[in-house]
Amino acid sequence: MDVGRHPKIELLAYSEVERVDGTVGAFDVTIRKKARYVDESKCTGCGACAEKCPTRVPDPYNEGLGERKAIYRYFAQGIPSTYTIDPDACRHLAGLRAEKEGADKSKIKKCGVCAKICQAKAIDYSQQDQIIHRQVEAIVLAVGYEVLKPEGITEYGYGRVPNVLTAIEFERLLSASGPTAGHLYRPADFVGKKKMPEHLPHAKRLAFIQCVGSRDGRRSIHCSGFCCMHSIKEAIIAKEHDSELEAWIFGMDIRAVGKGFEEYRLKAEQIGVKFVRSRVAEITKGPNGLPIVWYEDTRARRVYSREFDIVVLASACLPPKDAPLLAEKFGIELDSFGFIKTRPFAPFDTTREGIFVCGCARGPADIPESVAQASSAAARVAQVVLQEARKVAMQ
Amino acid sequence: MRRLALKSKDVRIGVFVCHCGSNIAGYLDCKAVADYASTLPGVVYSTTNLYTCSESGIAEIKRAITEKKLTRVVVASCSPRTHEPLFKSACKEAGLNPYLFEMVNIRDQCSWVHMNSRDEATEKAKNLVRMGVAKAWFLEPQEDFEMPIEARVAVIGGGVAGLSAAESLADMGVSVVLIEKSPHLGGLTLKLNSLAPHLHNPDDLVNPLIERVEHHPRIKVYKESSIKKIEGYVGNYRIELDVKDQGVIQEAVSAVVVAVGAKPYIPQGLYGYDGERVITQFELEQRLKSKGVGDAKNVVMIQCVGARSQAEGEKSYCSRICCATAVKNALILKERFPDIKVSILYRDIQTYGSDFEAMLWKARSMGVRFYVYDPSDPPKVADNAVLVRSKIFSDDVLELPADIVVLSTPLVASDEAPVIANLMRIPTDANNFFLEAHVKLRPLDFATDGVFLCGSCRFPCTSEEARIQGMGAAARVGALLAKGKVISSALVAEVDSSTCCGCQGCLRICPYGAITYDESRHVCQVNPILCKGCGACTAACPSQSVQLKGFRPSQLLPQVRAAMESLREMFVSCEL
Amino acid sequence: MIRDKEHHVLVIGGGIAGIQVSLDLAEMGFFVHMVEKLPSIGGKMAQLDKTFPTNDCAI
Repeated sequence: MDVGRHPKIELLAYSEVERVDGTVGAFDVTIRKKARYVDESKCTGCGACAEKCPTRVPDPYNEGLGERKAIYRYFAQGIPSTYTIDPDACRHLAGLRAEKEGADKSKIKKCGVCAKICQAKAIDYSQQDQIIHRQVEAIVLAVGYEVLKPEGITEYGYGRVPNVLTAIEFERLLSASGPTAGHLYRPADFVGKKKMPEHLPHAKRLAFIQCVGSRDGRRSIHCSGFCCMHSIKEAIIAKEHDSELEAWIFGMDIRAVGKGFEEYRLKAEQIGVKFVRSRVAEITKGPNGLPIVWYEDTRARRVYSREFDIVVLASACLPPKDAPLLAEKFGIELDSFGFIKTRPFAPFDTTREGIFVCGCARGPADIPESVAQASSAAARVAQVVLQEARKVAMQ
Repeated sequence: MRRLALKSKDVRIGVFVCHCGSNIAGYLDCKAVADYASTLPGVVYSTTNLYTCSESGIAEIKRAITEKKLTRVVVASCSPRTHEPLFKSACKEAGLNPYLFEMVNIRDQCSWVHMNSRDEATEKAKNLVRMGVAKAWFLEPQEDFEMPIEARVAVIGGGVAGLSAAESLADMGVSVVLIEKSPHLGGLTLKLNSLAPHLHNPDDLVNPLIERVEHHPRIKVYKESSIKKIEGYVGNYRIELDVKDQGVIQEAVSAVVVAVGAKPYIPQGLYGYDGERVITQFELEQRLKSKGVGDAKNVVMIQCVGARSQAEGEKSYCSRICCATAVKNALILKERFPDIKVSILYRDIQTYGSDFEAMLWKARSMGVRFYVYDPSDPPKVADNAVLVRSKIFSDDVLELPADIVVLSTPLVASDEAPVIANLMRIPTDANNFFLEAHVKLRPLDFATDGVFLCGSCRFPCTSEEARIQGMGAAARVGALLAKGKVISSALVAEVDSSTCCGCQGCLRICPYGAITYDESRHVCQVNPILCKGCGACTAACPSQSVQLKGFRPSQLLPQVRAAMESLREMFVSCEL
Repeated sequence: MIRDKEHHVLVIGGGIAGIQVSLDLAEMGFFVHMVEKLPSIGGKMAQLDKTFPTNDCAI
């Protein structure tokens, strides 16, 4: 909220940088402001359009576990609160495109319901992407990370064995604003159904698998830093929802290294969360259609298999998919792990002067680290911009 | 409702009931609420808007203030946290003191929680508005406190965190006073042999930093100094230092950055620690830096010594950096002495992130051995070996030859920490690490304005993390100083010294250190700049001498009575 | 400090890091242009239910 209201911040959401020219102190940036087909200055965020929109698609905010309409707000409390029409989902826009291409008018299904219902007359199907330019003295890349989608790790059965989820999908399940309003239903029981069925059973046995795609010689050797903690958190919250629930965390080392984290881990143990020192070998589909986890308990030196209702994969924190493209666009280098490379003893300087990086784009970091890094990067930017300005002034 | 005849002609209230799109109007009858409001005492204008926070809504408020000569404005809409500042600005722009504005939350507190009872929700909204109007009668005009603030900051601690904060601030144009207790700058980092993960020499990081700080025109460095007193508050701190060969010196600053660092724990009585054969990881660093490890052929390292433990005198936390340090030193030993055997006995190997994990893989490939042990069955140090049962291999006890045993101990709070905490009345946790304002979102601020922290005094961290935090604290200070003044809300507590008996109950309960005791007059007083208006003192005071402006009993009781109005019908006799 | 001329900075990414760096720079007197590819800011944190170790809600 503070960002939306700040007089010194111009927020260009639903936009992407196309080109960067210039040097520190004088960058010329070309930005594409994508068409929302909704007039930002008129939209009041009232939501009447989405209520009436007839088209439903899987909702990326809920990691595909729920649905949203073709006209949507990314999430309820989002800033800006302007709605957006997804051009790939909207049948009216598709119809307009088809018309332009000379398709048979009688075959085109048009809609236009949102425009009819909008009291503020904010819908504008003719809106175009805008190309704008900004002159800036420094650039900060805070482009975050990507969660590994573990389909590639075939032995874990993601996408094949029912009720195997990534951690972020599980977060959406736990959330009161998620697809199940916080009820721990098993996804196989409701995903893809037209209406949420009644009286679904709650999941009673949860397994959290650590290091999925991390610390893995076949994929990425790096440790993703925060997943041990979020699995512990998810286990604790799940047990808060239902104290009889079983939560097992399968990991090699439990990395609770931040302030207050070891105490948090201890709390998990005390409320009955089980920690098994292991690296899960395989997840198969059991006779009940539920996932079976195969693992070696290394302290017992025995192999076990166990059925669970939901398996949560703590999958790796990876550099953003378009990192190589980004690197080219901005003229910077990536490190050996694919994250944005920084210079020795200058933790936020990329390899190009005037361009800085902070947060997970630099490497895995949890929230307080990202916040501290962001503040420090701000100091670094201030330092460099002011030094440049002084240099120029002295010429 | 009782009227105060004296004030009634001055009270002209405008009520604006917001539809909030469909957020409110979808669940209750806004027009009915506005109509009801117009019947309330003092209300001369009442209307509804679709979005009061929109440009047109704001314009309407301003117009009504001017045309209807309103002396109070009540907006019934969402939470004050969203748009109260906006509405107050609107009042101010129209010439009405912004503190004569009252907000009623009929969204979070009404429409959002009563989505299926339109009639009852409407009645409740009417009740809430009646309460808001009742309070509006008794609002007082107030002025915000403004205090000019000078760009001068003290940094306590000359290690990497403090040096980074000082350098950053000075480059931003701020004057810095850097206070260090020892004869040297550079702190713990300079004492290390090498820095993980790239095995850089600490001198390469720290010496140039020290150079820049010592020669910076805006930084004044005091070494071998101890702090005798720190008094004051944001914008107005006075520090008294005792500087070797210079005597007592006074410095005046606007803000303080605490960077007093941490020190390695000495594991007296644990694992046969003797400082000769059984040493700490820090002592190993010193040896690697200077005399080496002699002709030791077998080195065994034990992790979590004195850490992650509930035992008396030991620490419960994980000290974050010791596993990375152990692996780093193991790598260095193997590189220097390829035939040396290094084993690390651990509970969890905490080589987090990308570079540290890569270091672990390299150590394994170089033949460093890792053995898991159970905290309930810890290793035992014998004369020439370490005995450990590592269940992942077998149930038998392994005997690992050991010429040197290295104990990885946690970093613990510096001795200076409780001293500074006391001098400045800032909080520390059970481990004497400083307690930040919010562990997630404000890790470098204290709850008290004007004081910041960074580095290991907050929690053990690497030298890179200390540098990051130091720079971050500088940014936080920069944000404070950039406006050139501190503006704080007028809604603060104040003490009526005629009835205050000096019991200091308020002083003890204040979380912001905003109350002081005046020895000569035996009364307490509130510093309006530090007071955040939480009201704890007001609740604690046995004589009602402390009152919170904007929330006085004379303002709250009418609200309570107004709330009870709707119960009037239920009780035959009700003296209000 | 930053009083004579208005300095402009571009921040790309509207997650918690982008938001914090923008706010800190803006508070220091810089003008920040924030670019985010999704329709609203908030990043991954907006998708979380609660955060560790305090179990505060993520918004």
